Amino acid sequence: MEFYRSHVLVCAGTGCEASNSEALRRALREEFASRGLDKEIRVVETGCFGFCRFGPNIMVYPEGVFYCQVQVEDVPELVEEHFIKGRTLTRLLYHEPTDNVAVVDFNDIEFFKKQYRIVLKNCGVIDPENIEEYIARDGYLALGRAVTEMRPQDVIETVRKSGLRGRGGGGFPTGLKWEFAAKAQGTPKYVVCNADEGDPGAFMDRSTLEGDPHSVLEGMAIAGYAIGASRGFIYIRAEYPIAVRRLVIAIRQAREKGLLGKNIFNSGFDFDIEIRLGAGAFVCGEETALLTSIMGRRGEPRPRPPFPANSGLWGRPTIINNVETFANVPSIILKGPEWFASIGTEGSKGTKVFALAGKINNNGLVEVPMGTTLGDIVFDIGGGIPGRKRFKAAQTGGPSGGCIPVQHLNTPIDYESLSALGTIMGSGGLIVMDEDTCMVDLARFFLEFVQDESCGKCTPCRIGTKRMLEILDRIAHGEGKEGDIDLLVELGESIKASALCGLGQTAPNPVLSTIRYFRHEYEAHIRKKKCPASVCASLFHSPCQNTCPAEVDVPIYLDQIRQGLFIDAYETIMRNNPLPVICGRVCHHPCESRCRREQIDEPLAIKALKRFAADYALGSNGARPRVTPAPRNGKKVAVVGSGPAGLTAGYYLSLKGYSVTVFEALPVAGGMLSVGIPEYRLPKQVLNKEIEILRESGMEIRTGTALGKDFSLTDLKEQGYAAVFIAIGAHKDQRLAIPGEDLPGVVPGASFLRDVNLGRGMDVSGKAVVVVGGGNVAIDAARSAKRMGAADVTIVYRRRKEDMPAEAAEIEEAEREGIKITPMVNPVQVIGNGKVEALECVMMRPAEFDSSGRRRTVPIDKSEFLIKADVVIPAIGQVPESDPLADEGLAVGKGGVLSVNPDSYATNVPWVFAAGDCVTGPATVIEAIAAGKAAASSIDKFLGGDGVLLPELEVTRTVSHELLEDVTHREKVKTVPVSERLCSFCEVELSYTPDAAMREAARCLRCDIRE
Amino acid sequence: MKSLEDLARIKERALETIRLREMSEHPRIVVGMGTCGIAAGAREVVAAIMDELEKRKLSTVSVTQTGCIGLCAREPLVDVILPGQVPVTYGNITADKVRRIVAQHVVNGQPITEWAVNVKPVDTRSSE
Repeated sequence: MEFYRSHVLVCAGTGCEASNSEALRRALREEFASRGLDKEIRVVETGCFGFCRFGPNIMVYPEGVFYCQVQVEDVPELVEEHFIKGRTLTRLLYHEPTDNVAVVDFNDIEFFKKQYRIVLKNCGVIDPENIEEYIARDGYLALGRAVTEMRPQDVIETVRKSGLRGRGGGGFPTGLKWEFAAKAQGTPKYVVCNADEGDPGAFMDRSTLEGDPHSVLEGMAIAGYAIGASRGFIYIRAEYPIAVRRLVIAIRQAREKGLLGKNIFNSGFDFDIEIRLGAGAFVCGEETALLTSIMGRRGEPRPRPPFPANSGLWGRPTIINNVETFANVPSIILKGPEWFASIGTEGSKGTKVFALAGKINNNGLVEVPMGTTLGDIVFDIGGGIPGRKRFKAAQTGGPSGGCIPVQHLNTPIDYESLSALGTIMGSGGLIVMDEDTCMVDLARFFLEFVQDESCGKCTPCRIGTKRMLEILDRIAHGEGKEGDIDLLVELGESIKASALCGLGQTAPNPVLSTIRYFRHEYEAHIRKKKCPASVCASLFHSPCQNTCPAEVDVPIYLDQIRQGLFIDAYETIMRNNPLPVICGRVCHHPCESRCRREQIDEPLAIKALKRFAADYALGSNGARPRVTPAPRNGKKVAVVGSGPAGLTAGYYLSLKGYSVTVFEALPVAGGMLSVGIPEYRLPKQVLNKEIEILRESGMEIRTGTALGKDFSLTDLKEQGYAAVFIAIGAHKDQRLAIPGEDLPGVVPGASFLRDVNLGRGMDVSGKAVVVVGGGNVAIDAARSAKRMGAADVTIVYRRRKEDMPAEAAEIEEAEREGIKITPMVNPVQVIGNGKVEALECVMMRPAEFDSSGRRRTVPIDKSEFLIKADVVIPAIGQVPESDPLADEGLAVGKGGVLSVNPDSYATNVPWVFAAGDCVTGPATVIEAIAAGKAAASSIDKFLGGDGVLLPELEVTRTVSHELLEDVTHREKVKTVPVSERLCSFCEVELSYTPDAAMREAARCLRCDIRE
Repeated sequence: MKSLEDLARIKERALETIRLREMSEHPRIVVGMGTCGIAAGAREVVAAIMDELEKRKLSTVSVTQTGCIGLCAREPLVDVILPGQVPVTYGNITADKVRRIVAQHVVNGQPITEWAVNVKPVDTRSSE
């Protein structure tokens, strides 16, 4: 058989034949023959590549180069370039149509833009096992200059003037440390590199040593020259095998080149470096313990003074610096102290490397100028928090540091400002935590770590941290006592004051810091036996139930659905949430965001399953379970407002035996459910059915009767009501406070929706509608306007789209329906003469972070522009109609909300209680339900009851089916196609079929079962 | 090493090697081989690259290693550097993916932008 070094496949499919591939084959064969290549290269006819649009196509093997639209004229050049010179002829390659992304320089991507690399300048760029690549980038030039052109004291002066401070965490000025050692009596002197990186989540030093080992060797040699040492040690943990191997290679190569060893650069300066492997004890990162370990003794600290600069290894003057400190030195020598001091803040010069770990998109290593804000690091460089979760806090300094909560995202990171916040710079571990982190658990984790790592030499550290850990364990198990927090603080303070070394002195920091910023979480664990983040497992059954404000027992009803016991599931929900038909449609389902299934594939569709069970029960009329209210107890309770809070409280009180009357100002019952939420999300007919069911408890609803207009609190008293529950919601629109707001055509969001829902909506057909705001009211108004025939609907929002408070699914559906969302834009004035003609807006740019962890925005100068508008709908929030409340003598606080006792929901008037949006400001349905339930219990107690609304039900938590632990995707909820939904207010989402519901429910992992 | 001149000579030589490499007409592949890269599967990726180059007889493509560039979340990272083009850094690369990168990008000059880290959306809005 003949051997061909290359095969050229020329397409002979119909498509390519049509573009003359036969002539091409002939030309190729002739060209190869004329150059004597026909014995080496074979031209083969082949079938269609499927790329006929770009024919004739040829493929060259073995490489697999694919050329398109090759013409006969191209053949000589192609043969010359590809087959003789061995270069690909790029102009004939297929060029992919641009897919809206462009390849940019690596340094231009967000991750790098705000970084400034001194220590990491070579990491990820050079081959760390090749000294020449380091030398090519000016490696060892600083050492050369130092030993040949500078005196030792000049080197020290340069480092001192640069302002470099120890990067291991302490922040001691490096130049000063070197000066002490240089002046100290006694020889020989030593240089030690502390590479015993041990903080959980920290890997800055490892990466530096792996990526650029020579920079550390060079820094150490310069230090040796400065203080008069000829031996250096790198103390590195054996758990870093790759770093150790690269160091060994680097030291060998440096010796071979004469950059370590005798008479370096012919200057008479000798310096060599040895590696000492540590066994991974955290305490050996403490300098005195580390030195003890190098000398071959048990790694335990000793009191200072004497400091190592005077008495270190074998009692001789020794400097000990961290990896990153040494890696900074060559650049300082080369570029000068002024350059280094020009980077960073007043007291903290240069850059800092951080290891980003935890709940952050770009886990990894970053180097930023000192003074960069935490928010910039987390959001711009780190790419933010995965999965639409909220930033909660960041831990710096590992087990020796503390946390920085969301309200301090604007803090510039440097030694001083971190210490003002009660934490430390540390060596650079930055652990990011989101809303799913329990701060008590976090403190417990770090304390457990230091408990394990305590060397046991001194009592405060050995026993004190043990006692603290016991208290934390108790709190996490729901056995916390009043006074525990103060005890932790007292213990912590005394350990800090009395422990022997840095490990013990800083060990209480994570506890003290979390108490400082998250005391309420400790209190929730101790007083309410509740872990708000659903982490401390002894305190709840399942994360979904724990997260539901109404504490619906989710895993139980999901299991009932899975078994086909749909009515039982409905009854389970009803025990804690009397509005399942409604919540199954409009709940913002915080339960789903904590579903553990998310870690496998997607969270359970809890909301949709609730809707299925509720719709099933509604549809089964006769079979639907009926409640049996207790006999009337002769006491009357008035509920003002028939929204979710009022209905819930009325329902439970009625079941309990009270005679309840609900007074509703509007002509229809349901409050915001009825007049705030559009028909396509919550059909009136469904809503009314659910309200009918609640009426079966015996409560009476009187519509069209308003407090302050039709009756007063005094009237209620006279009519024999023993208690009043106020839940009037928040229906009054907030104003934009811009010129032109009172022009006809400006209709605030809640008013707009109310009119639409009451069947008296304004005519928007064919008009241009602009909605202002990013919440659910804004989205509801926009989607309603679209259904009412608006020609063009635009939402303007002042922040980024990701920051919109509306539910993500609602935003997505709105866009699908053709609504334009314009983020980073704020209205300035409404323009028009007698009616709205346009909305003048200004473009916004991101500014600092606010206390919610989102960036504020500020107007961009002279960026005003007009959006044509016939109707402007401001939907930027609502407040309660508080005037009638104040007139009744009720205490009204900031923002027009009622002031109540947070535990009992009692107002300042003894027999009057209040809850829901009129107390919290606009919130969610499920929160209103939970508050209504809690207030009902409180009212029952006030009227002499036991506060128990429904007797506790025994549930057995057992697995009824095998758990599906393999990837099983969520059952899709069907929606009505956009084309059909826009011509009416028909409901958009459809219910599951029984089969789909059972399949979906089977995905539950039953976190409530603990064995 | 006896003087700064000696050092400068080594630097010049190294730079020359690098310049030759960068000017060369041959593609270069660089794989991140820090602990993060190796833990994420960089060794398997390198093996796949070598195998693919061998199969395609692409003896002129050089393969080198480097340390951690910081983007550990996206390891294994693989840079493909073609003469005269902006280097493309690929993230979350597997042995299977890297075979396609060799075929489509190294051989055929078509970056697979969906896997690239250093890409940006083209701004389609007007510049006002």
